[in-house]
Amino acid sequence: MTALRKTFRTRRGEVEALCGVDLSVAAGQIYGFLGPNGAGKTTTLRILSTLLAADSGTAFVAGVDVRRDPAEVRRRIGYVGQRGGADIEATGRENLVLQGRLYGMGRVETERRADELIELLDLRPFSQRIVRTYSGGQRRRLEVGLGIMHRPEVLFLDEPTLGLDPQNRANLWDQLRGLRDLGTSILLTTHYLDEADQLSDRLAIIDHGRVVAEGTPKELKQRHPAGVTITPRRGTADPAALARELESDPLVGEIRMEGDAVRLEVGDATTGLASIFDRLRRRGIEVQGVSLREPSLDDVFLHETGRSLRDAGDPARREAAA
Amino acid sequence: MSFLLQTALLARRRLLETLRQPIWVFMGISVPLLYLALFAPLLPHLAGGPGLPRGGVLDVFVPGILALMAGGAGMGAGWIAIGELDSGVIERLRVTPASRLALVLGTVIRDVIVFAVPAAVVLVVAIPFGFHAHWAGLGVLIVLLALLTAACSASSAALGITLQQIGSLAAVVTGLQLPLTLLAGVLLPLSLGPGWLQGLGHANPMYYAVEAARQLAAGTLASATVALGFAVSGASALLAVAWATRCYRRAME
Repeated sequence: MTALRKTFRTRRGEVEALCGVDLSVAAGQIYGFLGPNGAGKTTTLRILSTLLAADSGTAFVAGVDVRRDPAEVRRRIGYVGQRGGADIEATGRENLVLQGRLYGMGRVETERRADELIELLDLRPFSQRIVRTYSGGQRRRLEVGLGIMHRPEVLFLDEPTLGLDPQNRANLWDQLRGLRDLGTSILLTTHYLDEADQLSDRLAIIDHGRVVAEGTPKELKQRHPAGVTITPRRGTADPAALARELESDPLVGEIRMEGDAVRLEVGDATTGLASIFDRLRRRGIEVQGVSLREPSLDDVFLHETGRSLRDAGDPARREAAA
Repeated sequence: MSFLLQTALLARRRLLETLRQPIWVFMGISVPLLYLALFAPLLPHLAGGPGLPRGGVLDVFVPGILALMAGGAGMGAGWIAIGELDSGVIERLRVTPASRLALVLGTVIRDVIVFAVPAAVVLVVAIPFGFHAHWAGLGVLIVLLALLTAACSASSAALGITLQQIGSLAAVVTGLQLPLTLLAGVLLPLSLGPGWLQGLGHANPMYYAVEAARQLAAGTLASATVALGFAVSGASALLAVAWATRCYRRAME
């Protein structure tokens, strides 16, 4: 049984890092925690990986109660923290071998697994070098390797691509998808919208210690209107007439005039646009230009919290979480 | 069994780390040799005074130097612990099933070896300067002082994890190191001093180790002083290791 379930509430110090987080995460997928700094993502991850005790509530990882049997949880999970944690005075391979041995793997098995990971994560060219000489991307790949050395059922990653350049990020994403396809459940935190959107199969948006939205990226975005800007052809209608025409349309939300164009919120753009165009055509209104802006996870965040993710992040909470 | 294996693996990792930075090995051995070369020559003029037998000043001085080495070898553990808090190493290790005690002992064992090997060298080098070696006593003396190293190493690691800042750790360790060293009678026996100084010395665990070390170096194995030295050093080491293990268990909460 590898299904993950957790429900917990915690109150830590003077700052409520998590005020009642309830979530259940199915096995075999990449699950993202998206939120600004200090939202409680890292705290959640640290509780699940036995580094921190929740003040109250319960959490099960891979079917094991984190509070009752942390030792068993540790055997089943891998964890890659924000700071990585590779031994910088040892070689990459020594790091992997020590990690395997600490998990109780035999000498021969450890060596074999280290070679396997060196191939899988493209560590070959530098695996015999001291980690201090690695680039950021090389080091992060090794650290992911440390996290999965003992073939954990669940892998926790705290901001895995923080500080990586775009190419290294893309590589790491591919490798994480590969791991998921091999059966590892992955839970990661991120404050990057594109990472949550493109990498996660499902995600929870967390803010001020609460889950404010949960679902697949597609589901979350579909709950929110797309922005459609329509410019009517001169002579067939002016923007005000077009706006009047669409006011009564149930698919259309807020309407705003923008010069010679009209900006609409459309609930479900995939089907909604076609019906709007039909309607305009029937009225003899020709359309000169259309632009469509799909809702982003930032719109979702904005809608749920009233702030943009880019501006959110609470310094007091950030310090409390560190 | 797995606990012993983990301890051995973690100690090996630390020793590799040390061997890759031979500068520290070199420093560890050069400081006591400098004491022998540059300080010991001052001592013969004091010989014959209280606490300093004629012709045997080195027999009093060398055990003190060894105690200094024992303390020094353990002091670095806190700096390493802070470095590993910052780089996430401690966090990573805490998520593995590795025993927290093994995490502490890995460093302690390295520090003990980093004390014992140069200590043996210093003993051998001291002989031509007039040090009288009683080998059985010296063997026991190394074991006694290894306990002192363990106590210093584990306390330093615990302080490092608790304080989390290099600056604060440096202030606390250097602040403690000098009074502890002076009140142990490392350089000159406390018996030379006035009563209040000796009284203060009795509050210092290191004092008992140094007193016992002097007797052991002189070849006296079975004495109350030696037994007391072992009791105090052993208890200090145990307490310090327990403290550090506790800190590792809760690091960064």
